[in-house]
Amino acid sequence: MARVKTAFRSLAIIYSSYEILRPLIPLIILIIASIVIAPHYFLTPTNVKVVLMQSTPLSIIATGEMLVILKGSVDLSAGSVQAAAAMLAAIVTRSTGNVALAVASAIAIGLLAGAVNGLLVTKFKIYSFVATLAGLVIWRAFVIVISQGKLIYGLSQYSLLTNDWGTYIPLGFILALAIIALVYVVLTRTTFGRYIYGIGSNEESVRLAGVRADLVKFLSFTIAGALYGVGGIMLIAMGGLAVDPWSAQGNELNAIASCVIGGIPLIGGVGSPLGPLMGAATLTILNNILVLVGITELALQQTVVGIVLIAAAASLTRGLRYVK
Amino acid sequence: MENIAFGKEEILKSGKGEEERVLLAAENIYKYFPGVVALNNVTYDLMKGEIHGLLGQNGAGKSTLLKILYGLYKPDRGRILFRGREIKLKSPMDARKLGIVLVHQEITLLPDLSVLENIALLGYMWRNWASRFDRGKISNRVEKALEDLGFDVNLRTRARDLSVTEKMLIQIAAALTIDAKVLLLDEPTSPMTPKEIDRLVESMKRLASRGVGIAFVTHRVTEAVEICDRITILRNGSKVATLRSSEASVRELVRLMLGRDIGEIYIVRERESKTSTKTSILVEIKDLHTIPRTALEIPLKGINVKIHKGEIVAVVGLIGSGKKELGRSLIGLSNIVSGDILFDGNRVKIKSPADALKLGILYIPEDRRYEGLIPDFTVAQNMDISSLWRMTMLSFIIDYKRERLTAADMIKRLNIASPGPETKVTKLSGGNQQKTLIARAMLAEAKLVILDEPTIGIDIGSKAEIRRIAYKYSRERGVSLLILTSDVDEALGIADRIYVIKDGVIIAEHINSEELSREELIAEMVGLKKVGGV
Repeated sequence: MARVKTAFRSLAIIYSSYEILRPLIPLIILIIASIVIAPHYFLTPTNVKVVLMQSTPLSIIATGEMLVILKGSVDLSAGSVQAAAAMLAAIVTRSTGNVALAVASAIAIGLLAGAVNGLLVTKFKIYSFVATLAGLVIWRAFVIVISQGKLIYGLSQYSLLTNDWGTYIPLGFILALAIIALVYVVLTRTTFGRYIYGIGSNEESVRLAGVRADLVKFLSFTIAGALYGVGGIMLIAMGGLAVDPWSAQGNELNAIASCVIGGIPLIGGVGSPLGPLMGAATLTILNNILVLVGITELALQQTVVGIVLIAAAASLTRGLRYVK
Repeated sequence: MENIAFGKEEILKSGKGEEERVLLAAENIYKYFPGVVALNNVTYDLMKGEIHGLLGQNGAGKSTLLKILYGLYKPDRGRILFRGREIKLKSPMDARKLGIVLVHQEITLLPDLSVLENIALLGYMWRNWASRFDRGKISNRVEKALEDLGFDVNLRTRARDLSVTEKMLIQIAAALTIDAKVLLLDEPTSPMTPKEIDRLVESMKRLASRGVGIAFVTHRVTEAVEICDRITILRNGSKVATLRSSEASVRELVRLMLGRDIGEIYIVRERESKTSTKTSILVEIKDLHTIPRTALEIPLKGINVKIHKGEIVAVVGLIGSGKKELGRSLIGLSNIVSGDILFDGNRVKIKSPADALKLGILYIPEDRRYEGLIPDFTVAQNMDISSLWRMTMLSFIIDYKRERLTAADMIKRLNIASPGPETKVTKLSGGNQQKTLIARAMLAEAKLVILDEPTIGIDIGSKAEIRRIAYKYSRERGVSLLILTSDVDEALGIADRIYVIKDGVIIAEHINSEELSREELIAEMVGLKKVGGV
C-alpha cells in the first residue's frame, strides 16, 4: 500500500514538473477511450487522415493565438484574419493561377492584420480584447467585400496539401508540425520567447528590467497574424478546396479553447508551446468520436466541447484564491 | 525575526470595565507570505470611541493587519475577538455583518454616480441588493449618516466632482449607513492636503465621540500624535509598542518606528575610502521639475543631485518625500517638465527603462513582488533578464549552459540560499529574492544601480549582508549606487554622500557623512529641524 502511494506521489511530481503532460495525458486518455469505444471506426486509416486534416488549420491558428495569450493578451481576430487570408489567396489563385503569389498574399495580409493589432495595443493603448474585437468584425467585412459574398471553389492546386502519398499523413499536417516546431524553438530557446513568457508573468517587472516590452508585444501579434495567414491556406486545402465568405467563423474561440485545453492559462506566463497543438487535437478527436458513435446533433457536440473546456480551465486555475 | 521588547511598552490591564469597552481585538496574530513574515505575533485592540493609530513604515505590516481584521486575509495563527467573543472572518462579508468596515486607500467610488447612489451602493444596498431603490427612504438614512459625520454635501453631486477628502468621507458615510461600529481607515490622509486632513480629522473625532472605534493607519508621525488616542507602532511585521499619544513625543515615536538596529554591523563603509568624490561625475540632475501622473505621486520641485563614478549616494526620505519619484525620473518613468539629466557630461533624454539600461542605469524597485520579480521564472531567468543577450549565441539563441553556470556562480558569490539556478524564484525568502535582483544588476553590468529601499521587509541578518554585497560590488567594479531609503542607518552605514529629501525638495546634502549624527539626520528627514535649502 505504502509503495503504491509513493509510486503515485512520484507520478504526481513528474506530472507537475513537465507542463507538456497537462494536455498530453488527457489527449492520450481520449485517444485510448476513442479506440475502446469505436474500435472498428476510429483507427481506420481514412479516419486517422480525416482527424489529422481537420486538426491542421486549427492547430496552426491556435499556435498563433498562443503567442498572444502567453503574454497575457487575447486575440479575437484569429478566425476573421484566417478567413481573409483564405479568401484573398483564393481570389489571387483564381485570377492569376499563381499559387506562390497567393500564399505570399495570404501571409502578407496576416502580417498586416497582426501588425495593426500590435499597434493598437502598444501605441494606442487599447485593450487587446477590444482592439482585436474590432479586427474580428472588420476583417470579416473585408472578406465579404472582396468575395462579393460568393463562395469560391475549384481551387484544385491546393490538393497538394491533402496528399499523403499512401502514408495517411497529409502534407499539410507535416508542414503544420514543422511550423509548430519552429515556434517551439523560438519560444523556448530565444530571447524573444523568454520575453514573451516574462511579459505574461509580470509585465511591470520585465519593463523595469529594461526590456523593450512594446516591441516584443508588437512582434508577437504580428507573427500570430502570419500564422493565421498560414492557417487560411490550410483552410482552403482541408475545407474542400473552396472558401466560403463565412468560413472560419468562430475559429478564434476554437483557438482560445485549444490554448486553454493545451494548458495555457489566459493570464499568460506559463504553458508548453506544444499545448495548443494538443488542445487542437483533443477538440478534433472529441468531435470526431462523437460523430463516430452517432452523436451528430450539433447542440450535443457543442455541449460536450463546452464541458471539456470548463474541466480544462478549472484544472489550470486550481490553487488560485480567485480569478476574474 | 526581531522581537525587541521596549521598556515603554504598555499592555492594557484587562479590568472588568476595560473589557467591556474593547470592541475589536487581535491577539498574537501571525501572517506569512511566500518568503516574508508579514506579521509576527502582533496584538492590537480597539476600544469603543477610540482612534487607535497604526504607525509604521512601508512593509511594516499595517495594511496586512487591517486586511486580517476585515476578513480579506486569514491569519496563520492568533485569534480575533469582537466584543470579547472570538470570531472567525471568512470574508469581508462576515466583517461587515458585525459592523466592521474597511475604507480603502484607493477610492472605490463610481465616478459617474451621484453621492446618494454611491453611498447606497457601498452601504445600504449591500444587504438589500434585490430591493426596490427607494430614494426617499435611502436619502433619509444617508442624510443622517452625513449629519453624524458633520459633512454637508449635495446628494446629487456626481462623485467625480468631489475632492479627495469628500470622497473619503462618502465612503465613511456609506459605512455608517450600515451601522459600522468599527472603521478601519487605510492611510486615508496620504493623498490629502493639510486642510483636507483637518476636515477628515474633525469628522473622525465626531464619530469617535459617538462610540465608533476607528483604526487609523498612517506613516506620518506628527499626524498620529495629533489625531490618535493611542498609537501602536509596527516595524518589520512586529509590534514595537503601544503608547498613549498624550505620553508620546514625536522624537520617541520616530525612534520606535525607524528602529535602532544592532548598530555596528551596519557600518559597511570602510573609513579610508572617501576617494570616490574625486572621480568624474557620472550622472547629474539639474533643477529637475516633474508633474505627477497619479494622485499618489509626489512632484519633484527643482532637484539637484550629483553622482560620481563609483560613488554610493543615498537619498533619505520618508514615504511620500519624493525619493521614489527621483529614482524613477532616471529611468524615464516621470513627466519631466523642466530641468536636465546629464550622463557622462552629455544631456540625455531617457524615455523608458530600456533607454536607461542602454545607458547603463538599472532600477531595482522597492516592491519586489509586483515590480521586481518575474514570478513564473526561475532564479537564473530572473537574474539575467536584463542581460539576456549576453547569454546567447548569435545574440538571440539562449545558451542554456552559460545561463545556468552564470547563475550558479552568482548564487555562490552572493550566498543565495537556493537549491539551484532552476528553482522558482518565488520559493526563496525575501532576502534571497532581493539578492537575486542585485545579481540582475551585476549581470547587466550597469554603471549606475538605483536601489529603491533595498532592505525593506527583510530580516536583520540579510539586511546587513545585502548592504555588504552592494558596497563591495560598488567598490570593486567602480559602479555607482543610488540608494533610496527611509532607513537612516542604511544611509549612514554605506553612503559616501547623503541627500535628504522632503516634499519633492532636497533639503540637505552631507558629503562627509562620518561627522553626521543619526539623530540629526532623522530630525532633518522628519522635518523637525529646519535646514537651509541646498
